[in-house]
Amino acid sequence: MPGFGMDQAVGWSFVSLAGFIFTYYTIWVIVLPFVEPDQPIHNFFLPRFYAIAGPLVAGVVALTMIGSFIAYVSWSKKVKKS
Amino acid sequence: MAIPKLYQWLLAASTFMAAWLSYVLGFFQTNLRHEYHEIILVLPIYLLMAFASYSLALLGYRVATFNDCKEAAAELQEDVKEARKDLERIGYKYASDWQ
Repeated sequence: MPGFGMDQAVGWSFVSLAGFIFTYYTIWVIVLPFVEPDQPIHNFFLPRFYAIAGPLVAGVVALTMIGSFIAYVSWSKKVKKS
Repeated sequence: MAIPKLYQWLLAASTFMAAWLSYVLGFFQTNLRHEYHEIILVLPIYLLMAFASYSLALLGYRVATFNDCKEAAAELQEDVKEARKDLERIGYKYASDWQ
């Protein structure tokens, strides 16, 4: 049975990744506007333009991949039936 | 009150979008600080990211704390082996065993 111990590691890695993403994004979008522009913390974050562009592009790519996968599966099923 | 979860989420999402759109399109006058205005403009994408990370965290947590009982699995394997032996004795032939 492959990956009996790995399941827990994968699960907790998801949790920590989600926590990191949430914390980073929250600081980026909600905390930084209240911080003076000359504070050094701004060096850890890209310009705010990417806070919108990044998730938007990633969402479009993800939806495209999902849609093309669905189209491919339904097309190959139709070919098999005929 | 048995409103399905999906409808609850849709109701909340559409209420939020109505309020947010009315703010963004300027249907009422406000006198907010510049920072608050910036944050409100970004709110939909931020809430989407928060929901996505919450889903990811919940998924990972359920995977990590899934209660797999190793003894029950081993016992099940033993039962399968015994059942196979009994059936082969009676004369049942398994397709996977054909030469």
